[in-house]
Amino acid sequence: METFVQSIVSGLLTGSLYAMIGVGLTVIFGVMRIINMAHGEMVMLGMYGAFLSISFLKVDPFLSIVLWIPIAFLIGVFIYRFLLKNIVPAGELNTLLYTAGLSLFIANLVLLIGTGDYRTIKLKYAIMPLRPFGISVPIPLAIAFGMAILITVALYWFLARTDTGRAIRATSQEPEAAALMGVNVDRTTIITFALGTALACAAGVLLAPSLYLYPTVGEILVAKCFVIVVLGGLGSVPGAIAGGLLLGVVESLGAVYVSVPYKDAIGFVIFLLVLLFRPSGLFGVGKS
Amino acid sequence: MKKIIIALAIFLLFAAPWIVSAPFFVHLMIMVLMWTVLGASWNILGGFTGQVSFGHSTFLGAGAYTTMILFLKLGIAPWYGIPIGGLVAALIALPIGFICFRLRGPYFALSTLAVAEIIRLIALNWESFTNGPVGLLITTLPDVTFGGRSIDWENKVPFYYIIAVIALAAIVATYIMSRTRLGAYSLAIREDIDSAEAIGINTVQTRVAALSLSAFFAGVAGGFYAMYFRYIDPDAVFSIALSVEMVFIAVVGGLTTVAGPLIGAIVLVTFGETFRQIFLVGHLIFYGLMMMIAIRYLPEGIWGRLRLWLGAQH
Amino acid sequence: MALLTVKGLTKYFGGLRAVHDLSFEVQPGEILGLIGPNGAGKTTAFNLIAGFIHPTRGQILLDGEGIAGMKPYAVTRKGIARTFQIVKPFKKLTVLENVTLAAFLRFPSRGEAEAEARRVLERMGLGSKISALAVDLTLSEQKRLEIARALATQPKLLLLDEPMGGLNATEIEQASILVRDICKGGVTIIWVEHVLKAIMNSSNRVIVINQGEKIADASPGEIVENPQVIAAYLGTKKR
Repeated sequence: METFVQSIVSGLLTGSLYAMIGVGLTVIFGVMRIINMAHGEMVMLGMYGAFLSISFLKVDPFLSIVLWIPIAFLIGVFIYRFLLKNIVPAGELNTLLYTAGLSLFIANLVLLIGTGDYRTIKLKYAIMPLRPFGISVPIPLAIAFGMAILITVALYWFLARTDTGRAIRATSQEPEAAALMGVNVDRTTIITFALGTALACAAGVLLAPSLYLYPTVGEILVAKCFVIVVLGGLGSVPGAIAGGLLLGVVESLGAVYVSVPYKDAIGFVIFLLVLLFRPSGLFGVGKS
Repeated sequence: MKKIIIALAIFLLFAAPWIVSAPFFVHLMIMVLMWTVLGASWNILGGFTGQVSFGHSTFLGAGAYTTMILFLKLGIAPWYGIPIGGLVAALIALPIGFICFRLRGPYFALSTLAVAEIIRLIALNWESFTNGPVGLLITTLPDVTFGGRSIDWENKVPFYYIIAVIALAAIVATYIMSRTRLGAYSLAIREDIDSAEAIGINTVQTRVAALSLSAFFAGVAGGFYAMYFRYIDPDAVFSIALSVEMVFIAVVGGLTTVAGPLIGAIVLVTFGETFRQIFLVGHLIFYGLMMMIAIRYLPEGIWGRLRLWLGAQH
Repeated sequence: MALLTVKGLTKYFGGLRAVHDLSFEVQPGEILGLIGPNGAGKTTAFNLIAGFIHPTRGQILLDGEGIAGMKPYAVTRKGIARTFQIVKPFKKLTVLENVTLAAFLRFPSRGEAEAEARRVLERMGLGSKISALAVDLTLSEQKRLEIARALATQPKLLLLDEPMGGLNATEIEQASILVRDICKGGVTIIWVEHVLKAIMNSSNRVIVINQGEKIADASPGEIVENPQVIAAYLGTKKR
């Protein structure tokens, strides 16, 4: 029983970070109707950002998030304004291919600048895990979880209460009606893309102390991200959150109760089934 | 005029190892030709029918493992195993096609990615069959004579001629496809799938046929890969990276054209391998960059643009 | 025997009733007009007959053979061809390639298919445009291309979905002559149209649909006098 609870808790902790990455991707899809294959590289950049913070700036990675979020936002603005904006009119498939190229470019650029060595971040306060109610909770993951919750709450407030946030939601549901209502679709798009990028980056910063860093980590992350976003329903923020948490828990339980290797395959099989039979997501809230 | 150029090209193809015999260059040419086959394979589906697959390494891997297993466990020589590998790949394309073609556009692309990953994970875990992550290794290739002489497998040249023949076959197959009903129907599907249905085209059947032909060549290339590199494991032959590289070669070279994959392979592989020699890592950066340039400025590919330019000259 | 028999055709989209209990026959060699206010269900009826959507209830018989639920390509093979309200040519292919693709259905070899395509294009007055890209044609030419493509499949029955939309008066006149010619060539026609003058002048019979139901089925002359039809289009006077 204890193992079961331990699995669930670990799954939820990691899942919260998957959820953040997923929210970033789904928000971009909702407004732009594009699948951003370079999303994983944004997470990777966040992870390296955290690494640089502790290695060179001697700043705790969790504090450095304050620096990296705005930088990531600006990078997102840059990528959309100078690269993607010209490609999106050419169609979903062309954009998919373009972002695939971008993904390869960024990952290999990092590979060239640094090296391909696997890196880890060791934090002095993180050696011993916390043990609430006898459940082992690694400190970095706990902090990450807490910050992920804060960021998600902030995001909700932003989407629900601010004009820009409402503009994003409106454009996501009905782009033409939103434009007719006076929403500046171009500005909304640029903000959405930058927001999605910043979320991915932030998730990377938070994840860095708990995962191995290497330049091509984006590849497997983006694959998991697609699973989350499709399960939760494309374009749905609550769906992505639920999908992320679900994936975290399923992976965690799978590692304990199912033989370790095949657990990743289960995710993809479910992904295929949902794509084929329930394209609007497990909860039926997605767009196709 | 065109026939003279083609004849010259074929002559050069077979004379090349005599002209440039340094091992690095022969290896480079082998890689260019192997990727031509892979690019041509992807082009048959992605170029002609417009269905973008991100999971083509499934077929490469299927061919590779078939060839390896037939040789290591049953003693069947690779030159028989390679075409059989192609057939196995073509066969598994049938159920994959029937499942994935229910989806369109980017969703089809994602589903092929999922299928490829599932198969990679199966190969990784089914150790009794595939040896799992340890992989399969060929230590010695069988003794065989050709034209009275025993083939020296330590020399790269015999491999060159094998892949040259396969590459020629792939290009000819693409050409034949473009001239027949299958090619025409594929283009219709690429343009407007509903209109295609309206004029009596069974779009599922056509796409599955294209996928099968495409898978055959990817499988054959996979079998060659196994024979040339002599070692395969699931992460090498079922990887997303390989799938993505195939897409890039076909797109950058020129979709729906016959020579596009060859041009794409020449450009990308030459730069890539040379880059790799100098910098050792990160050679795919060039692939990423070329893809972005192609989509933005050369959507018809390098060869597609050259053709237009040459056409305008006359 | 009737060429096409539609019996009790019904289609619901979720809770929305698009077509309800539609029944009619089409005799070989006639031109049947299908009219009705916007949103009446005319294009839905076409999509049902051509196989693009499947009925909730009802039968569709071609030469006595049930075709409801067949895929579009199968319906085309049986002998029903259709055009689209908003033309869908294969834009980046030439006019000749567009029609050759359709001709492949009955002529599997490229040489024969191309020859048939040329014949059909000549008949449609597009002989001088065979090398042009479909996207470069005028709207009127694109509509003729759409019809040529449909005819190349050698249909028994041709479904024309608002072929006059967007055409000027001269072009409408030419199109009406074309439609009559096609019928004389042995193809039965059902056409949906909003340009009432054209459809009344060229049809043998007219069916009026309103809110998914058939409200009239008679000759053009009788239809214009029918009070229910007038009410459907103009509304009833409130006293």
